[in-house]
Amino acid sequence: MLKITNLSATIGDKQILDNININLPAGECLLVTGQNGSGKSTLLHTIMGRQDIIATGSIESCGQEIIDVPCHERSRAGVFMVHQSPPAIDGINTMTLFKEIQKVQNIAGTTGELIKTTKALFNWIGLPEGWEKRQFNNGASGGERKKNELTQAVYLKNKTQVLLLDEPDSGLEQSSRQKIIDLIQETKNRNGCVLLVTHDKELQELYSANQLDLSNA
Amino acid sequence: MRKVYLDAESLDLMLVPTQLEYEYVFIQTEGKCKVDIKLKPFSDSKFKIKIYIYAEGTSEVDCVCTLDIPKDVSGVETDIQIRSWPFDKSKIKARPEMFIKNSNVIANHGNALGTLKPEDEYYLASRGITDYKELVKQSLLNA
Repeated sequence: MLKITNLSATIGDKQILDNININLPAGECLLVTGQNGSGKSTLLHTIMGRQDIIATGSIESCGQEIIDVPCHERSRAGVFMVHQSPPAIDGINTMTLFKEIQKVQNIAGTTGELIKTTKALFNWIGLPEGWEKRQFNNGASGGERKKNELTQAVYLKNKTQVLLLDEPDSGLEQSSRQKIIDLIQETKNRNGCVLLVTHDKELQELYSANQLDLSNA
Repeated sequence: MRKVYLDAESLDLMLVPTQLEYEYVFIQTEGKCKVDIKLKPFSDSKFKIKIYIYAEGTSEVDCVCTLDIPKDVSGVETDIQIRSWPFDKSKIKARPEMFIKNSNVIANHGNALGTLKPEDEYYLASRGITDYKELVKQSLLNA
């Protein structure tokens, strides 16, 4: 499902990852650990295809080599990332963004159905009334931004093959942890795979069976 | 109150604000547009003005929003914000101007110009989106 071979990653003139190897079968979750600065987030961004990361080696997703594939195409091919620090994007309306996601990800449904679905998701995750009308993450707290990420992850869950979770729990209340666990389980049940970076002790214990420590990477 | 102007040639407006919030959106895909908004508030009026300007192609927008408060008008509280997105080879000149002759006035203003930051582009790409220009335009039209 996700096979990474001899992966190295450089940002500017600084090498962050050196010779990383991962073989993650379908239906599995890999817990990525390591101290601050060890490259946990960089690994996830490298898989997602961030434009300023120079990567060498191989990243295969569902048997397809994606190391030279641009980020938006990786997304459309089923790689989804919950960002650690999602930005507030001035001028972009939340509902318009969801409409564009629906369009580029080829998700069926009318605009009316999309509005109904997203409103229900915002309500389920605990985002305030009228969230869909706001500019994207504008004035939102860290926790609200993370909830917005999880809403998108759930909206795209049937398309996601590789789920990258970069501290999905940070800024969230305890009660939201179960939603992350459910999302991981659903992805695994659909034969997707998950890479999880977290500092949450309970989540770490739950997924400790399959672990990659980047401390010396 | 929200007003959207599509490919306007000019707007010359004198506004006596009676509402809390005004939003003016200019979408310019061709030609030139000259906008002149003059604000003449009464004493003790409280209002916000937001001006959003989107331009693409080789279009041009020149926008001035002037707040004029004479000596006998006091207690005004206002915030004027202008946000501009010049895409392609378009040009946007936008500025708030304030002429305040009374010391009992609170008048904030902001003026930001630019398209998307690289981190915003990456974030949208991570959702499969590359047509940022259209996304901004549709957001302004559908807000």
